[in-house]
Amino acid sequence: MAAPTRPTRPSVTPSHRAPVVDRRPKANFETWSWYFMRVSGLVLIFLSLLHFSITHIINDVVETDAEFVANRWSNPLWRLYDWMLLTLALFHGLNGVRWIIEDYVRSPAKRAATKAVTYGVSFALFAYGTLVIVSYSS
Amino acid sequence: MSPAAPTVYKGKSGQWSFIAHRVTGFLVFMFLLLHIVDVSLVNIDPDLYDSVHALYGNILLRLFECGLWFALLFHSMNGLRIVLVDFFPGVIRREKMLTGMVVFVTLAAGIPGSLVILWPFIEGRIL
Repeated sequence: MAAPTRPTRPSVTPSHRAPVVDRRPKANFETWSWYFMRVSGLVLIFLSLLHFSITHIINDVVETDAEFVANRWSNPLWRLYDWMLLTLALFHGLNGVRWIIEDYVRSPAKRAATKAVTYGVSFALFAYGTLVIVSYSS
Repeated sequence: MSPAAPTVYKGKSGQWSFIAHRVTGFLVFMFLLLHIVDVSLVNIDPDLYDSVHALYGNILLRLFECGLWFALLFHSMNGLRIVLVDFFPGVIRREKMLTGMVVFVTLAAGIPGSLVILWPFIEGRIL
């Protein structure tokens, strides 16, 4: 018995083909926020776990008093470490909360209000925390 | 005909990881906001910082710190799992093993760390 033949397609010369279109959506804010969560998250695994280990496990929490802070912030590299932890953790967390708000707060008015409060508090505390780390002197 | 009763999606490990990731992330973020405020006191008045900071040695806040440690560990390890699955989609075949590793590392680092945090209480030095 003869092998079944494939259905033939009308031959199309390349000049008649539809132009190849890149159908991937353009990178927008959400694309960058997605990348930011992954990159900042990887850095934060190191920064946050080491920070917690130093302040709660290697030292007892009651030992991390004002004198402890003075010693630590006498080194600008520790200030940089703490500022990076502050910045990455705050914006990683803020973006996560933004996703949570967009998932659960459906009414446009309530969503706008929730975002306004969340962003307002976060940006204010980021600015204040930065000011403290930069301007601190014992 | 009345609409069908709402069905409950009884999700697998991925769904529970998703929920736990949200909850732990949200709680750590809330703590971060509080933590910026309490550390900032050191710049206003070191004595005020010390008296507020001494509260963290209380047993209730030590238990809270253990919770924070577990939350940080789970969120870190589960985040690592998410990054692995995103950038190496093939590992989805090892999904259950990866989730098991996330839980294992969280407990393996969380329990000893919590014992250290609670040690002054266990020894009876603090209430």
